Amino acid sequence: MTEVIARRGFRGLSNEEAIEAIHGELDALWDDASFVPDMDRMTFTTAVIEAAANIVQHALPVAEKPVEIGVDISVRPSRLQARVSAYNAREPFAEDMQPNMPDEDAESGRGLALIEALVTTVTFERQDGTNTWILTRET
Amino acid sequence: MLMQFSYEVKDSYAEVKSVGRLNMVAAPKLRELVAEVVAGGSSRVVVNLAETDFMDSSGLGALIGCLKAARQAGGDLRISGVQPQVKMVLELTNMDRVLTAYSSAEEAFGND
Repeated sequence: MTEVIARRGFRGLSNEEAIEAIHGELDALWDDASFVPDMDRMTFTTAVIEAAANIVQHALPVAEKPVEIGVDISVRPSRLQARVSAYNAREPFAEDMQPNMPDEDAESGRGLALIEALVTTVTFERQDGTNTWILTRET
Repeated sequence: MLMQFSYEVKDSYAEVKSVGRLNMVAAPKLRELVAEVVAGGSSRVVVNLAETDFMDSSGLGALIGCLKAARQAGGDLRISGVQPQVKMVLELTNMDRVLTAYSSAEEAFGND
């Protein structure tokens, strides 16, 4: 495993403020890792925000504790990786996991298809009430 | 704090200016504003995205909803000043064929 050059993270309640805070962390990450080309920054930022927005819009709590969102983003010489997690969350509904692009007049449902188009690999893990999307882009 | 959305009614269209990130937080506000513009009698709408450096699928969904609202009222919705990230999202979702991009708000309804 090659060296991590820059890393940023966030954890907090799953809400609109979290989306803005995560976007702020991404901006700060690109300041720390100025060698990452604009195209990679743009695509990866879009993918991470889509994944985070998917959690804020769709994740439901497993019990009384509210859903929290966590993001851990790392930059290696030729790889960008983000772990985007929903804590205290139920398993996602299959209908929220559709990777196909919907009809052109649809007003939602493009998030996952967009993520798949933006990154090299997307994997999903579920463990102990935590759903994690791992987004990787080889640069 | 800077107003994220504002509008101005011109001779043949209304121009809605969007500033900053058009994400899931901003998307409902854009829908609300365009609905107000259309209800006010301006169904030809240009959304000026020259100062929008980021749009996600929620923002795109709002633009599609606004386009439908404008067309239902007998008008249309066009976009102008599209920046690289927004252009990328439109192309990857194949919505660049539906949401026509013009270089400026004046040009968007310039020929009809």
